[in-house]
Amino acid sequence: MSRPTDETNAHRALSRRQFLRALSLGSGAALLAACGATPAAIAPTSAPAPAAPTVAPAAPTSAPAVTSSSVLLTMMGRRSEFNEDLQQTFETANSGVTIEFIEFDQARLFAMATAGNTPDLIRVQAPDVPQLLSRNLLLDLTPYFQASSVLKLADLAPANNAYKAESPLKVGSGAIYGMVKDWSPDLSLFAYKAAFEEAGVALPATDTPITYAELAELATKLTKIDGDRIARWGYGFDDARTDRIWMSILAEQGQSLYSDDFTTMNLVGNDTARAVVQYFYDLAQARATPTPINPSPTWPGEDFTKGTVGLAQYGFWFSAMAESDITKDQVVMLPAPTWSGGRINPTITGTGLVVSAQSKNPDAAWKLFEWYMGGEPSVDRAKSGWGVPALVSQYVLLPTESPFQQQVGAVLTSELPYAEQPLQFNPYLGGSAVNNIWKAQLEQALRGSLSFDEMLAAIERETNVAIQDGLDRTS
Amino acid sequence: METARPMALRTGERRRISRMRQRQITFFLFIAPWLTGFVFLQALPLLVGLLTSFTNYDGLNLDSVRFVGLRNYVRAFSDPDTGYSFSRTLLWSALNVPLWLVGAFGLALLLNRDMKGRGIFRTLLYIPSVVPVVATIWVWRIFLDTNYGALNGMLSLVRPGTAVPFLTDHALQSLTAIALWTGLGSGMVIFLAGLQGISTELVEAARLDGANRLQITQHITLPLMSPIIFFQFVLALIASFQQLVIPLLLSSIGGQISVPPRSSYLYMVHVYQQIFVNQRFGYGTALLWLLFVVILVLTLIIFRTSRYWVHYETDQEGGKR
Amino acid sequence: MSAITTPRRPAVHAPAWVRPLLTYLILGTVAALVLLPVIWLIVTSLKRDVEYLAYPISFWPSELQWGNYAAALTMIPFFNYVWNSLILGLTYTILCVISSAMGGFAFARFPVPGRNALFTLVVAMLMLPAIVTIIPQFMIFARLGLTNSYWPWVLWGLAGSPFHIFLFRQFFAAFPKELEEAAEIDGCGPFRIFWQIFLPNARPVIATSAIFNFVWVWGDWFTPMIYLSDRNTTLAVKLATAYVSPQGLPIIPVTLAACVLYTIPPIVLFFFGQRYIMQGVVTSGLKG
Repeated sequence: MSRPTDETNAHRALSRRQFLRALSLGSGAALLAACGATPAAIAPTSAPAPAAPTVAPAAPTSAPAVTSSSVLLTMMGRRSEFNEDLQQTFETANSGVTIEFIEFDQARLFAMATAGNTPDLIRVQAPDVPQLLSRNLLLDLTPYFQASSVLKLADLAPANNAYKAESPLKVGSGAIYGMVKDWSPDLSLFAYKAAFEEAGVALPATDTPITYAELAELATKLTKIDGDRIARWGYGFDDARTDRIWMSILAEQGQSLYSDDFTTMNLVGNDTARAVVQYFYDLAQARATPTPINPSPTWPGEDFTKGTVGLAQYGFWFSAMAESDITKDQVVMLPAPTWSGGRINPTITGTGLVVSAQSKNPDAAWKLFEWYMGGEPSVDRAKSGWGVPALVSQYVLLPTESPFQQQVGAVLTSELPYAEQPLQFNPYLGGSAVNNIWKAQLEQALRGSLSFDEMLAAIERETNVAIQDGLDRTS
Repeated sequence: METARPMALRTGERRRISRMRQRQITFFLFIAPWLTGFVFLQALPLLVGLLTSFTNYDGLNLDSVRFVGLRNYVRAFSDPDTGYSFSRTLLWSALNVPLWLVGAFGLALLLNRDMKGRGIFRTLLYIPSVVPVVATIWVWRIFLDTNYGALNGMLSLVRPGTAVPFLTDHALQSLTAIALWTGLGSGMVIFLAGLQGISTELVEAARLDGANRLQITQHITLPLMSPIIFFQFVLALIASFQQLVIPLLLSSIGGQISVPPRSSYLYMVHVYQQIFVNQRFGYGTALLWLLFVVILVLTLIIFRTSRYWVHYETDQEGGKR
Repeated sequence: MSAITTPRRPAVHAPAWVRPLLTYLILGTVAALVLLPVIWLIVTSLKRDVEYLAYPISFWPSELQWGNYAAALTMIPFFNYVWNSLILGLTYTILCVISSAMGGFAFARFPVPGRNALFTLVVAMLMLPAIVTIIPQFMIFARLGLTNSYWPWVLWGLAGSPFHIFLFRQFFAAFPKELEEAAEIDGCGPFRIFWQIFLPNARPVIATSAIFNFVWVWGDWFTPMIYLSDRNTTLAVKLATAYVSPQGLPIIPVTLAACVLYTIPPIVLFFFGQRYIMQGVVTSGLKG
């Protein structure tokens, strides 16, 4: 074992090799670093949009330690979002920094967190933030943002507010703990024109939102049944996150699924919440959406690209794949529906990156974070059109070549004002806890073994038990 | 460590003792790799795993971990889903284990014959065992899907509009089909390997005495194969009780963990939901220990009865020979 | 594959062609049922993305998409991961077969006090779902600095696996007593008996165990997910995670194409390995 240098983190076996390599490459590099000849050269090589930075970021107040000797950063994410080439680019530009990339896995994250080995950078979703925060797992990045010339607080797109918090119970403002990699107002609709024509239904206007009631009506009309089979569902939504759709509909009314302190769920006693659940229950009964007893073979968005869903409710990112060989020139994006006239269209996923509070190399982690979020990778992401950029200054990079992209862009622009306020997620619940409870109960209700009211009560009861468990773990 | 021959010329009594000791030392030398591994890699984690079941641990850091006494175990008995998922597991095991045992043994008997192309048949039947689980899940999902699946598509050629909900209304049966598909091949291989140990002379002699194939199977093959059948039976039972991956992944897309239909809501699925969806690590671990006890008791019963039907060459029960 | 040990069938029984025909009929039916999903797997891997769940169902791709296979090989450094799987599989297999055979031999042939208790422990290890020990075990390896390396597999291999110890025990327990007794009278020590008499006569079970071990590591995605990093992980992990769109959603035909490629090595291994499974040597060599 090497003498644990200050930089060695938990992966001793690996860092030994790096340690030896550092020894052999020797003092030369260290000297250079000491002379400041290699300032962390992670300047975004292809300078992006107008407002984008052109100079290498100065390291924040806490000393430019990155280059002095070998640093091993662990990053847990998805390879598809940070490929080998990007990693190599970063490592080349920052000699001495090696990235140990780990594919995201819940069990692995648990194991690493428990072993005190939490990855330096972790891919999370906005709903995870309150819980991770309540467990003191997130590093406050505010000082780094304040010192950064790449990521300026004023340049951050609204979805990043989900990563700001004053406390686990109050996200939206305050210290900043991370950023989205990209995002979308997630409740927009995509209409398959051919389905409308087949059903003889007029396409809704693209500049004013339809109501959820109208959506249900359309869904029923667009649904196509062939014998016992459903040849097309009228309406497909992100049924892995149904509760988050409820939350945003309730937020439109200034209401919440939960009590103010998030210690109880208010479903049975809240008429609006009841109505929202009833809405999705009725659609399931009418077989106008995929349900637990007749599920999508993949996910509704993919079904949409095969022409087997008439209206799909997904964010802007979906426009990158909505046009398939089947749906080419047949897709129109519509604004998010409204429940009772108000308009809201927040992100319900907000996938991004945070830095672990346990990180032994926060400065190096920030370098990577900054580059990933404001450098070359962010430019690539913006140009791809697979989501709204996390930086307002990069909005101009979004693709606008095809008529569809232009149509989508127009709707997006009209929707952005309604995406400012992030949803407040429950710090005591895991990300898919409520949705799984809902699905299990809905299945029984659809099979007739539970009435609607019984189902509602069961959802509330089980959620409250889960909240109690969460409370018990947090306090 | 060779057996010590020079010590042989002592009194019979001492020789017996020293021989006994020698055998004991040799025994431990042979199992030393496993035992060392068990002590260093298993025993401690097991202890920690046991302790976990008495805590409120949630998978994240250990800052707020507390001991909660027997609460998790008490909860297991008051949670209606525990009993429900266990009953589904029993039903599923009752379907899966016998079908698998009989199927795998039958195939092995057929493929043990001297016939053309048996190597090809064996390979073909083994293919599903090596198909990666990702592919297994996707293929079966798109094969059995209610609306767009291939099987319903074929049925629709006969009766248009057919949409049998295989994966939801008949989830347990579909699960059995999938598990058999992936498992028959490897079961067959073990049986085939076992069949090679049966003396061909014995079979030949019986045949010359006029025994027919059925009699040979019944009086020679089955008894001689009983240790292997026993092994397969125990393992199939354990594996059935622990079935998780197929039902879980069948209803989850792109890494998003979902709930399988109630019909295939097996015990391990319930555990998985507790641990990875609700972050009830302590409770989930308690459920696992309860499952362990159940399997242990069942297995011990099978082991106890094995003396009546399993034929070993050496005495397996006592310490003498 | 033809001339192996099975004896000549005496032609005493009635029409000689009936039985083989029946056998072929049964095997053919079973094989067809088993192969249907396999064929569907291959066909789907050759479809366009919009074809594989379209309505109405397209049973055959309008145009065979060999490009899916090209994509499977180029979207990730495919052969790097094949190599990782291979190294990990072989290392673990060799170690595990040897140490499990030793353990199985001891449990089968040494009726010493304490053996049954220890064997119960072996079997008990099979009964405990791995989830119980994932995190504590990870903590130990992390403490030792062995995560993100293949060392855990080396250590697990050295320790043998309960399944395979059990398997070897059952096979060795069925060996005729005379085998051992004769050797002992000739002055063979237990290690020589194991090495020169039991092991050579156990080729079917060794082959079975080796194939199973290899196929297990080859197909296991859970353990590498927990212990390895992207750099040195196995193909099984990549299959489950790599063939996705920029938003992380799976691209099915390409995934399935990769799965087809991935299935080939173990099938080849099995095709050539099965001849060893079919070598019955135990009794014929000694008793005859």
